[in-house]
Amino acid sequence: MSNTAIDKERSFGTSLVGKIAAIVGKIVAYAVMGAFAFMAVFPILWLIMNSFKSNQDYQLDKIGWPKEWFPINYAGAWQIGDFGILLPNSVFYTVVGTAGVVLISTLAGFAFAKLKSRASVPMYGSFVIGVMLSLSSLMIPLFLQLSQLDLLLGNLWTSMGLMTDPRAFHLFYNTRFGVILVYIGSGLPLAIYMITEYIRGIPTSLVEAARIDGASYWKIFARIILPMCMPIITTVAIITLPGIWNEFALINIIVGKLDLQSLPLGILRFSGSRSADYGKQFAALVIGLAPMLIFYIAFQKQITKGVSGGAVKG
Amino acid sequence: MASVRSGTRREDHKAFWAFSLPAFILYLFVFGFPIVLSAVISLSNYKGGQMFGGEPWAITGFKQYGLLFSDPAFWLALKNNIYIVLISVFGQLPLGFVFAYLIYRKVVKFGEFWQGILYVPAIISVIVLGIMWKFIFASNGLLADLFNYGNTSKLVAALNLALNSGTTLNDEGIRHILKAMDPNVVGLLGSDPVAGFKEQLLPGGSLAIGDPAAFVNAMKNYAPKWTPEFMTKQDTAMIPIMFVTLWCWTGMYVILFNANMQKIDSEVIEAARIDGATEMQTARHIVLPALSGILINAAILCIAGSMNQFALIWAMTEGGPMNVTEVLSIYMYRTATIGQNYPLSNAIAMVIIVISFLLIGLTKLAQKRLGGQE
Repeated sequence: MSNTAIDKERSFGTSLVGKIAAIVGKIVAYAVMGAFAFMAVFPILWLIMNSFKSNQDYQLDKIGWPKEWFPINYAGAWQIGDFGILLPNSVFYTVVGTAGVVLISTLAGFAFAKLKSRASVPMYGSFVIGVMLSLSSLMIPLFLQLSQLDLLLGNLWTSMGLMTDPRAFHLFYNTRFGVILVYIGSGLPLAIYMITEYIRGIPTSLVEAARIDGASYWKIFARIILPMCMPIITTVAIITLPGIWNEFALINIIVGKLDLQSLPLGILRFSGSRSADYGKQFAALVIGLAPMLIFYIAFQKQITKGVSGGAVKG
Repeated sequence: MASVRSGTRREDHKAFWAFSLPAFILYLFVFGFPIVLSAVISLSNYKGGQMFGGEPWAITGFKQYGLLFSDPAFWLALKNNIYIVLISVFGQLPLGFVFAYLIYRKVVKFGEFWQGILYVPAIISVIVLGIMWKFIFASNGLLADLFNYGNTSKLVAALNLALNSGTTLNDEGIRHILKAMDPNVVGLLGSDPVAGFKEQLLPGGSLAIGDPAAFVNAMKNYAPKWTPEFMTKQDTAMIPIMFVTLWCWTGMYVILFNANMQKIDSEVIEAARIDGATEMQTARHIVLPALSGILINAAILCIAGSMNQFALIWAMTEGGPMNVTEVLSIYMYRTATIGQNYPLSNAIAMVIIVISFLLIGLTKLAQKRLGGQE
């Protein structure tokens, strides 16, 4: 840092010109901030407003308020878009996936932070590298792996006489189980990184004292580590959850049938060909964004905390 | 004592594996094996179908990579990916820094409110947002209407004046209307526009208009029009995508940077301000260096995310028109699903991973060169 640069402009900063500059600067700051904040939410509000317009109304006027309100768009979109199937699926993947990520990561975090093993450093290191990898670049090999494993097992069962058609066997590809495995796996690196770093901050003497008292590691995990980890578990869960809810690239390729599809898949399909009615299209989009918007409003503090922790991916 | 120790160590060992194996096996299952599989298939002539016990396939070497590097579609996709990386690293991060600084220094009041608003797009599915922006940028979308709003209202005013709340039009009124109409449309009305207007645009050719409101609504289409062609023209199709990329994730960095600015010793900044340093100088000489480590980490995650972007572009353009907005992941997806060329597709996957790590390495190198702190 150069002190001379600061000195040089010292007198400038306190002069009248400086004060005017500060005021102008403030106005500019508010204008820029206001413009960007407006940009951030205006399109979303516009979307919500137009979801209440009739098809004709939208085509004639995209800017004004609805001439007549059409909440019926939502009923139509819900039915055409199969949201009765998509929404429960999304809830299932998100809840089970998030719970799985949190549980498995806390177990591993305990091992990496407090249990001694030669494998600890390379294993933990591999997870840290994983933070920089995104599964979407691996969607094709992942798809091949899951479908080929099913074929392999199907052939095995067939040769044992348990099945007649090896292609009918599905454990990983096009199954809920497969989706959950992939979602838990993809959430692990970041979660393990955050939780391990957190558990490292818990005094090792606590663990050692419990060991001397004869407690097993399972007991130590359940009675000491898990309760103390609740803050980081909440943070990890809260940043994992939207990621799974919004995930598209992977589920797009590992799930084919409608019964297993999640919201993002259904919404994209809806916008493609299901309805030429703009009002219903917008209603479908609002159904798609509402859960996360509500989630954000409810947990804004925790989400902000999670993002502050460096847990970014974009 | 020694025997107790070794007993504990063995137990430690067992516990370590019991706790870490579930995570590690899953990690290998979704990251480890697919990478190996991808590397193997990229070097093979596998044609799809049953991999084990089906049609035999063999390792054929680096042929696919040669094909890949001579495919113009690859270079186009790579170029688009680089655009996304650049707008992310040199758009999202600096903007995020500026906003975070304004909030941190309380240059603008209600910082938490602004920060909360700026983050909203980042929490919503990019599929929803992509489709939404498609509607906005479409040639008949919101953007077009906003730009044409003035022209349309001018025409509506001319129409209302000419109709004068009646249901008939005279030649004088029609001339006024023609002036506010799109010249291209007027040109289509023939050498005598007034006659052409009566003949072609008035319902039944009569001067009496049944429903003036409906007439005005129908006539709106003939206002002078600007038609946005971003999404349909090949050389501009990336612009909306880059804009939305910037729009979507800047808020995340505002939160990240602001949180880390809070950790800076505020006395240092107060002292600098008392000594007469301007906000600009404080930002440059105190806050920026203090945040350099975070900035580098953010840049790394930013690059990793940008190299893997798929869903947003898929929702907005599916890589079109004519594949000009394809990024590597979409190119890879198309090669596998439409082309059914698994070796080539897996070669692309490998290239994405290698480039991601190269760019991350480059960032680390830049950090060392610039002397930033960890």
